[in-house]
Amino acid sequence: MMHSLLITGRLISRAIWNGLANASQTADPSLQRRSEPCLVSAVCGFSKDRKIQRLIKGQFGDDAWFTAKYKTADVLGVADGVGGWRAYGIDPGEFSLHLMRTCERLVKLGRFTPTNPSELLANSYYELMSHKKAILGSSTACVVILNKENSTLYTANIGDSGYMVVRRGRIVRKSEEQQHYFNTPFQLSLPPPGARRDVLSDRPDAAAQDNIPVEDGDVILVATDGVFDNLPHNVILNELLKVQGERCASRLQMVANSIAWMARNLSFDETFISPFAESAFANGINTIGGKPDDITVILATVAI
Amino acid sequence: MDNLKSDFVPAETLIKMYHLEQYVHVILDYTSRYNNSNSSYYSPFNLIGKYEIYPFYGDYPETYFLRSYGTWWKKSDSCQSNYRPQDFDPLGAEDYVTVEFESAVVPRDICIYETYNPGAVVRIWGKLASDTHWVLLWRGHPQQYPSKSRKFHPKIRPVNQLVNVIRLEFNQSHLQYHYSVDAILLGGFQPVSDLYYNMMERGLFFLKKPEEASKFSDMDKYSEFFGEDYFVKLPYEVMIHIFQYLDLKSLCRCARVNKRWNEIVNDPFLYQTLSLKPYWYLVNCNTIDYFMKKCTSLKKLDISWCGNDIEGFDKKLAIFIGANCDTLTHCSLSNCKYISREMLTELSTCRNLVDLRLKNVTNCFKLDNPSLQYLDKLVTLDLTATNIEDGDLICILKENPNLKHLIIDLCEHLTNLDIVVEAAADYNPKLTCWSSWKTLSLTAEGVKKFGKFPLMKELDLGWCLINKDPGDCLRYIVDGCPHLSRLILSEWRGLNDHLIIPLIMTCKELTQLDIFGIKNITAELCEKALLYLPKLRLLDISFCDSIRQDEVEILRRQYPHITIQRSCQYSSMNYLN
Repeated sequence: MMHSLLITGRLISRAIWNGLANASQTADPSLQRRSEPCLVSAVCGFSKDRKIQRLIKGQFGDDAWFTAKYKTADVLGVADGVGGWRAYGIDPGEFSLHLMRTCERLVKLGRFTPTNPSELLANSYYELMSHKKAILGSSTACVVILNKENSTLYTANIGDSGYMVVRRGRIVRKSEEQQHYFNTPFQLSLPPPGARRDVLSDRPDAAAQDNIPVEDGDVILVATDGVFDNLPHNVILNELLKVQGERCASRLQMVANSIAWMARNLSFDETFISPFAESAFANGINTIGGKPDDITVILATVAI
Repeated sequence: MDNLKSDFVPAETLIKMYHLEQYVHVILDYTSRYNNSNSSYYSPFNLIGKYEIYPFYGDYPETYFLRSYGTWWKKSDSCQSNYRPQDFDPLGAEDYVTVEFESAVVPRDICIYETYNPGAVVRIWGKLASDTHWVLLWRGHPQQYPSKSRKFHPKIRPVNQLVNVIRLEFNQSHLQYHYSVDAILLGGFQPVSDLYYNMMERGLFFLKKPEEASKFSDMDKYSEFFGEDYFVKLPYEVMIHIFQYLDLKSLCRCARVNKRWNEIVNDPFLYQTLSLKPYWYLVNCNTIDYFMKKCTSLKKLDISWCGNDIEGFDKKLAIFIGANCDTLTHCSLSNCKYISREMLTELSTCRNLVDLRLKNVTNCFKLDNPSLQYLDKLVTLDLTATNIEDGDLICILKENPNLKHLIIDLCEHLTNLDIVVEAAADYNPKLTCWSSWKTLSLTAEGVKKFGKFPLMKELDLGWCLINKDPGDCLRYIVDGCPHLSRLILSEWRGLNDHLIIPLIMTCKELTQLDIFGIKNITAELCEKALLYLPKLRLLDISFCDSIRQDEVEILRRQYPHITIQRSCQYSSMNYLN
């Protein structure tokens, strides 16, 4: 009991540390004073493993995330490294982390088009190929760009991570899952040479693109499948309602924490009929309980 | 430093000025890059903004990397010789990068954040973006520095000029491995009032006193001292012979001695070769006019780095080349961004051209419109980072059966390199050097064609088959090119020990072998390579993750005469936090 309490404490403090590091960026007053739209965001997440291996900003287990700002756009993104590579001696977290890191850099350098998130994802992917160190693995990814010019959200999604936009209590837009078959999402991959023939690899342009004009106060949730597989939509919606129009990063952080925490608890709940279990049942697999997975939540509100 | 003047009065002590510190805003120009232009890894654009990696030290993709290091590239047969050896750069600058800052300041501090193998900066220049006149801010010999990141903060020349463009010149020939820079900081002062700012911008502030007068009086003293000019008593031919060893600056000085000297110095015989690269900051339209009169039988012309941003320079140069088109055999135009299609047409009339270098001339070729089609004597052709396309290149290959050296590194517009290799195999059997580093369209089919070049000595196929299946490609190369002395296979990630063994057993001439980034090779293979290749001098095994650092250390101790490269790799912890 004592042990688990200790771990829980560590997990929470880590989540808060991660979140605060991010909040301090977003709470920059000079950005909020301006009249152009921007995103106020908070991040929380947990690694599936109960033991803490490493503490790296932008990573929860095999999940990775980034938030970045540029003159013309605010960008959020998550990626979920495909765990199957562990069997080949490849760290699945490495690919997703580098993918997100590179996206972040490209945004900061301004080497992206605010209206084309899938290009950003594709460029980031091609960049990884020119890294001297072979970064191998595969990953799902979801990138959301708020174009400040026309207050429109441009999104690209490959695989089963996703986003959700909530306005005045209703889900106005939500990403579609892309799956080859059950529990096998579309994925970007750089397989080790030799293993390539039997590896699933989707081209970066397979990403589903979408755009939606946003209004002041809209809530955006970008998260990996660890959240969507474990939390029913109405639960997520209930949480998101609490932060509509919220511009205080720390209150946003509390809700992000609670979403991540709920997802985590339910993922280990063996009796809970999770969305994942429902989906499995629909595919003829009889299972029950949550799906233990890495969890990443980026919660943002639009401030215009 | 030589130009420290005791009577220098810093501008900031006279008028009210802000102190500004800023990082790079825009990259204007560069001569060297380690990656394709659409990638941000290792690219010059990483200089923009604050440092990311510093104070860490190592091989980080988020910094700017120079392509070459040490003298390995100079050992290649295809390396450009100095056309006029007496005109050389004493500091040996090999590459430069030009960056722009947001606001113009009177420079006081420049910090260069070097994160890998520091010590390559040899000169720092400054100017205003609107101006063409460069001011030397610092120069110094390349330095040996321990393997640590460093903030290079040289004491720069005190000037009272506004500067927002900085150019760094690098000499990396003494470095052990690649050089990388993370960021450049420019610190200085900017006038508070617009009036002063505008005055300084136009150079109306702190005008220098003319110093010429005193020099003339010195001259008088000398002529008095020497009295008679014994030199003129020498026969004309002897004087010409002596003068032909002089560099351009000395020749210009000699021209001012007396009529006789002036006459000899203007003899076209002395200007059969011209290397203006060491004087790039002095070259303008007048320079070309000056040499136009003197050069009637120019054979070798190196005008690399010169004439960018100078209005009308391209037209002058075209006329100049046109005037010498019958005799010109060597021509180097590296980094001359103004070279256009028209200029290439002019070059194409130089029927005797043997050696043509268009490195980093990014936009000279045009679609569906062959250039250089009249040249048929080429032996060396360097098209690094140009926009040449497959069809155009194949035309050139067809016309030049004597071609020996072909360099097409980083040519992103070559979209089907396989057919280029095929054409070369048909028309250019004498090829000894092929370099298509990071020209990514090569596939296994194309690589197999390299079996048809029996004279091939240097083959650079680095980064060509990333994540593609190399299969038995290497076998074809090994069987076809037994005389290979330099082989670059970086990032052929599918290779393994088993596939490389035949290479080691057959190509005994190998002196440089680059197999970095290949995960599957082991220390055992390296040991075999070191043992069985008697002439081996360079073995690059960076990022070969199966080889442990301690194994490398043992090999280094066993084979001290061979340079074994092993990149300083970061642990993921400090890199990612």
